[in-house]
Amino acid sequence: MTALADILDRIPTRKSERWKFTNLPARLKKLTLEQGTLGWSGNVDILNKTAPGADKYADTALWDLNLQNTKDCRFIDGDAAIDVHAQAGKWYSPYLRVNIKKGQQATVIEKQSGDKSYWKNQVVDIVLEEGAILNHIRFQDEATDGIFTNFTHVTCAKDARYNAFTLTRGDGLSRNQIHVELQGPGADATIYGVNLLFGKQHADTTITVEHQAPNCTSNQFIRSVLAGESRGVFQGKVHVHRIAQKTDGYQLSNALLLSPLAEMDTKPELEIYADDVKCSHGATTGQLDEEPLFYMQSRGIPRPQARMLLIQAFLAELVDKIGDQTVKPEAEQAIEEWLHDHAGA
Amino acid sequence: MIEIKNLHASVDGTEILKGIDLVIEPGTVHAIMGPNGSGKSTLAYVLAGREDYEITDGDILFGGKSILELAPEERAAAGLFLAFQYPVEIPGVQMTTFLKTALNAIRKKRGEEELDAIGFLKLMKSTCDKLGIGEDMMKRPVNVGFSGGEKKRNEALQMAMLAPSFAVLDETDSGLDIDALKVVANGVNAMRAPERSFLVITHYQRLLDYIEPDTVHVLARGKIMKTGGPELAKELEEKGYAEFLSEAA
Repeated sequence: MTALADILDRIPTRKSERWKFTNLPARLKKLTLEQGTLGWSGNVDILNKTAPGADKYADTALWDLNLQNTKDCRFIDGDAAIDVHAQAGKWYSPYLRVNIKKGQQATVIEKQSGDKSYWKNQVVDIVLEEGAILNHIRFQDEATDGIFTNFTHVTCAKDARYNAFTLTRGDGLSRNQIHVELQGPGADATIYGVNLLFGKQHADTTITVEHQAPNCTSNQFIRSVLAGESRGVFQGKVHVHRIAQKTDGYQLSNALLLSPLAEMDTKPELEIYADDVKCSHGATTGQLDEEPLFYMQSRGIPRPQARMLLIQAFLAELVDKIGDQTVKPEAEQAIEEWLHDHAGA
Repeated sequence: MIEIKNLHASVDGTEILKGIDLVIEPGTVHAIMGPNGSGKSTLAYVLAGREDYEITDGDILFGGKSILELAPEERAAAGLFLAFQYPVEIPGVQMTTFLKTALNAIRKKRGEEELDAIGFLKLMKSTCDKLGIGEDMMKRPVNVGFSGGEKKRNEALQMAMLAPSFAVLDETDSGLDIDALKVVANGVNAMRAPERSFLVITHYQRLLDYIEPDTVHVLARGKIMKTGGPELAKELEEKGYAEFLSEAA
């Protein structure tokens, strides 16, 4: 069993450009954790030990660390519901390999949770064959002292579609790193996320979408509501290779700060080498408007409830885009519960 | 009954209301007329409890109790309503949700039973019918994309649904064509009742042709300069506000 202390020096620090808003070593150093296992049965020996895209983005330290320590792995080729629950005082390296065959469609729902303090350093390695569609949904309900780092890598062949939705409403610190390679013409990546944070929580969403073929589309859309002293990070990158003409790439981050001590750091980036593309990015950070709050109060709606309605409206635009009708009510319920606890004042 | 006593109010250190005294008995309609910048809208906002204004002196009594310490929602529950000059757009909040939340919040505060979905929809539909408001408007977000007339009809709808005992109408006639004005005025007239009073704030006499006041006041430079019957409004229409604007008045 590997002790956490032995691997701390291999964890990215804020000196690295892609980690400048998220101080993972500082949080990990406060914890005393032993290596644990989730009891998954997959054969770890057949995993590909080489991190994809390593030469280009050089940000694969956590992938490498996972592969060096993997004890739990699962192979998925269709619909799946996966519960990843961490026990107090443990650190884990779960590995999910998802392969959707040509023309197939699947929905994978991950539920991430845990007790007290722990670290899950997860890798999700996704291969979508021609015309395959994957709906990848994650509910992130980590404990207040839990740390969750996740590296999702996706390759999309011709006309494959990767649809992701992540709802983060609890964590100590999380880093949700997604790297999509659109390798075949007509492929699409749609990555949506809602972050609801309070206290000293920290959620980092770092996305890279590489357009490596013509006529591909990608869409990153993140909305964050930050209470207390919480901190949200969005780093989104669209990289359009020279061959990838007729690319349509879009990224947007909107954050609502409910407290003067909350903070949002955004870094949208475009790197474009083709000349016939449509790409745009945007980021906003703001507070709730006083005008509609007063209007609602003057109609008898108590201020906390008025705040809730405005925040729900802010999130609805994104939640309404969830295609899976079984997941949508669950997400709405989770959001409502969170707002009841944290939207007041 | 509403009693405004020697009310002084400032915004950002500038005094806007400079000692207003006004008593509005149940069942009466009072009109306040005045030139731009006289403090009409400030008075409306101060009555509704907007935070941007500082009350430096005086009091507002509603049913014999001071409401100065009450939050806007508590004033609404007590029976006060403000029809806004510029109704606020709230993207993403559907009219039906907004109205139901408001109505039930007020009912709850008053110790009345909250309406269920069916009871609420019935009440909403019958009120919409009376005001000539189509149901499609109720499916849209609050005031978003509404025309000027629709926004004011929406204010009348909210007033009818919440059934206040004292309603302030702030320049309800601004931006309205004559047909919309009639609809809104009819809505107000239908609500006139012995236990309910109105304060109609307007720049022009036109609105008062449709909502006939019992008493008319002239507000200028933060004070009530003159009080009279409905004939005062006609007089102002002819002579304008010039006589109230000079320091000597």
